[in-house]
Amino acid sequence: MKAERWLEERTFHHSNFWDIKWLVEEKQRQGLTISLCLPTLNEEKTIGQEIVILKAELFDRYPLLDEIAVIDSGSTDKTCEIARSFGADVYIASECLPELGQRKGKGENLWKALYLLKGDIIVYVDADIKNIHPRFVYGLVGPLIQDPEVHYVKAFYDRPIAYSGVLRPTGGGRVTEILIRPLFSLFYPELAAILQPLSGEYAGRRSILEQIPFPVGYGVETAMLIDIYQKLGLYAFAQTDLDQRVHRNQETIALGRMAFGILRTFMTRLEREQIIELRSELPNIMRQYEVSEGTYRQVRHTIEECERQPMIEVEAYREKFYPEAQPVG
Amino acid sequence: MTAPVAEAQIPWESVAGFPEALKPLRERLLANLVMIAQIPAPTGEEARRVRFLLDRFVEAGLSDAAADDAGNAVGRLTGRRGNRAIMLVSHLDTIFPATRSHEVTVEADRVIGPGVGDNALGAAIVSLMPAVLEHLDIQLDSDLILLGTTNSLGRGNHAGIRFFLDHLPDQVHYGICVEGMQLGRINYFSIGTARADVTCDVRQNMEPSRSYGSESALVVLNHIMNRILSIATPSRPFTRIKMGRLRAGVAYDVEPDHAELGLEIVSHSDEMIEQICRQIHEIVSEMSARHAVDANLDVFFTTQAGGIPFAHPLVQNVLQVMTELGIEPDQGHSPSELSELITRGIPAVTLGITRGGKGRKYPDYVMIEPILTGVAQLVGVVLAIDRGVCDEG
Repeated sequence: MKAERWLEERTFHHSNFWDIKWLVEEKQRQGLTISLCLPTLNEEKTIGQEIVILKAELFDRYPLLDEIAVIDSGSTDKTCEIARSFGADVYIASECLPELGQRKGKGENLWKALYLLKGDIIVYVDADIKNIHPRFVYGLVGPLIQDPEVHYVKAFYDRPIAYSGVLRPTGGGRVTEILIRPLFSLFYPELAAILQPLSGEYAGRRSILEQIPFPVGYGVETAMLIDIYQKLGLYAFAQTDLDQRVHRNQETIALGRMAFGILRTFMTRLEREQIIELRSELPNIMRQYEVSEGTYRQVRHTIEECERQPMIEVEAYREKFYPEAQPVG
Repeated sequence: MTAPVAEAQIPWESVAGFPEALKPLRERLLANLVMIAQIPAPTGEEARRVRFLLDRFVEAGLSDAAADDAGNAVGRLTGRRGNRAIMLVSHLDTIFPATRSHEVTVEADRVIGPGVGDNALGAAIVSLMPAVLEHLDIQLDSDLILLGTTNSLGRGNHAGIRFFLDHLPDQVHYGICVEGMQLGRINYFSIGTARADVTCDVRQNMEPSRSYGSESALVVLNHIMNRILSIATPSRPFTRIKMGRLRAGVAYDVEPDHAELGLEIVSHSDEMIEQICRQIHEIVSEMSARHAVDANLDVFFTTQAGGIPFAHPLVQNVLQVMTELGIEPDQGHSPSELSELITRGIPAVTLGITRGGKGRKYPDYVMIEPILTGVAQLVGVVLAIDRGVCDEG
């Protein structure tokens, strides 16, 4: 079974890459540059320690990272001030490529990171991690530096190892186990081997990230997996166990909205690949219900899942990164 | 080969420039602070913090870096001449149980979290000292011993540093105890201290006793406290009894069968401490008999009073360094590891690194901006000792 062989060969533990000095030497030998992108929206509680620890260990002490950038969706707290004070480059997403209009969402920030940051490898790390450690970065870039065939590395946080004779669950979240893995099993069975497809930490080569569209909302992680899979196949992926990740827990009602957005992204891809045929456009209204003083009330959430075109199709991007390929005159 | 630096040649003007020169190390220092503070380390459970320090020592290329038999993290940065040994020490344990969240928040001007100032910051600086000296291009003639101690607080009774000092193969010539707070703190006198628990347990009905016993441990403990409060304490030598902790009871309607009082006696005179301990012991015994309860006094922590004189060159040079850096000195006495060094005849001081608070109403915090001045102060004092100007006579 291909997926099982992949699981065995391309599943790592962060400790496989503990020798950061070697990673730096190898990165320099290959002439690679690496950028860290922290997408933020009101993360003043955790952004400071993330930048301090990652900058101190992977920028000042071992120059594994070539830049550390916060791409912010319009925080109203001190996120940007704190990030700047510890030496991160801070970009406001809405001020980047304004001619392409404004979208709001994490995916928008990740997409604009391709334009704003210079690295050959982009590492995306969520800014709400309470137990940040350098492993969150070196565990993800390690497989990319080690193996040129790997193009995209995904984090997971619990190891499915045999323990006292029984298997521990993979630790995928609720949306993963109830929605994503069943969908992958139905339509992209090989991708079901990715243990935590929704984890917010991943690293990819610019060469592939610039080729794929980015949903701006909840669907960005799922879309990345499907689109890279379609272009490069399963062996473009690796995954790394980063041990524990402590972060805010989301309420089930919020996860429902997330599932709605992901499902729309999924359907779009199934239709694009002619796996299913939709007779009409899918609605963008998610209906949820709340009880108030003995009566039930419908709450309608508009969940836009618009997608940004592959960055390589943006002229300003091509001018910045591939000036020699631009038509003369 | 570098020539030994002439003694008494202190580059005071460079000391004033150290805070600016150390700016590139700021994030590394803060990262060490955060990572140490995130590791729970109640007294006796410091192993993970010890591991952290040892990893840092090994990465810095220290010739000796290992845990001793008491579990202390020990590193030695070998000097060019090895003519003196200067010890920087920071305790690794905290008062916080492992079950409490050790989350740390870094804001633009401060770091917030349990024990950040007492004493994760001290440990962070000890762990980064080799990098600090390297960054400033300072090579010491003296050996620098870096020590993170275990079992320091409460019932730990300084066991870690006591073990280290009592089992040293070589002499330690000077000691600096590094405490996170407060910048300007200079302690060269250790006040005598005794810490004790008074416990009170009512006797169970099934136990044979001809006396009518009290049914409330809390009421008896209250009598004991009133008697302790009536002990006369002299203002000279300065002596105080502090009652800091009281525990009893689980519900409004149930008289507690167990009560505990935690108290501390501090004095400039060891004899006064002994005398007061004797008095409290007599009170506890008498009340135990009078109310037919099991009351006990357990003195579990003692340090002796002592210090080096104000005129000692070490104190004078610390004050000079503070002047160069614009630090306002705050002289006082210290209940820290200082006493263990002083009682063994090792000239030593306790220095604070930054401003901050530990709190009753607010979480512990340390201010970021003064930290590099605090570190510069430490380097200045180490340099002064290294150049021989702190030697007596």
